[in-house]
Amino acid sequence: MKLFKRAVIVVICLLLIPIAAVATAGAKQRFEDGPNRVFSGGPLVAGELHSGPDPDWGFVSEIPTIEMQLLDPAQSRRIWIAEYENKIYIWSGYMGNSIGRIWKQWPIQAERDGRAVIRINGVRYERQLQRIQSGDVLDGLTATITGKYPSATTRAAVEAGDVWVFEAAPRS
Amino acid sequence: MKNFYIFTAVAVVVTVLAVLLVPGVDDYVERTFQVYLGRAAR
Repeated sequence: MKLFKRAVIVVICLLLIPIAAVATAGAKQRFEDGPNRVFSGGPLVAGELHSGPDPDWGFVSEIPTIEMQLLDPAQSRRIWIAEYENKIYIWSGYMGNSIGRIWKQWPIQAERDGRAVIRINGVRYERQLQRIQSGDVLDGLTATITGKYPSATTRAAVEAGDVWVFEAAPRS
Repeated sequence: MKNFYIFTAVAVVVTVLAVLLVPGVDDYVERTFQVYLGRAAR
């Protein structure tokens, strides 16, 4: 019994090392201008703030990822983006399981307060995230997504709540 | 056992300092974490 107890203590102590590494890296990223990979970054500060009418969003087809920051909380993350009928969309998978919902907090936060800033090619755009849960637009949009990314996103997955889709609309 | 606790404490401190101060270590940690997180979420 004593040996077992010691073994447990040793395992816990050894686990502390990678846990400390991950926690430190995550905390460090919070003070950066923007995200890196999975850890949230701080507010998007650098870059010109776009004003005026929306551009032709077709260029985002060539953009693999963008940086997106919610105003509340003021944290940013790196995400995929798709353009469909000159509107831009972002989404989050893994929302149908508990690990995904712990990992992906931003969709829940965005549904509560959709004010956001996105940064693409160094230019910041003020947007309003509006969740889309159903509708024919999902057919074309999910086809665009699966054509651009190695993703299995389908209209059924969106309607089932496994994938949360948001239109990044202009903020009025 | 006391020596092991000291080793653990030193290792944790060195890890934290390395992530904070050594260029690229934070990115390596995040990349590795991303792999395991992705597997867990599938």
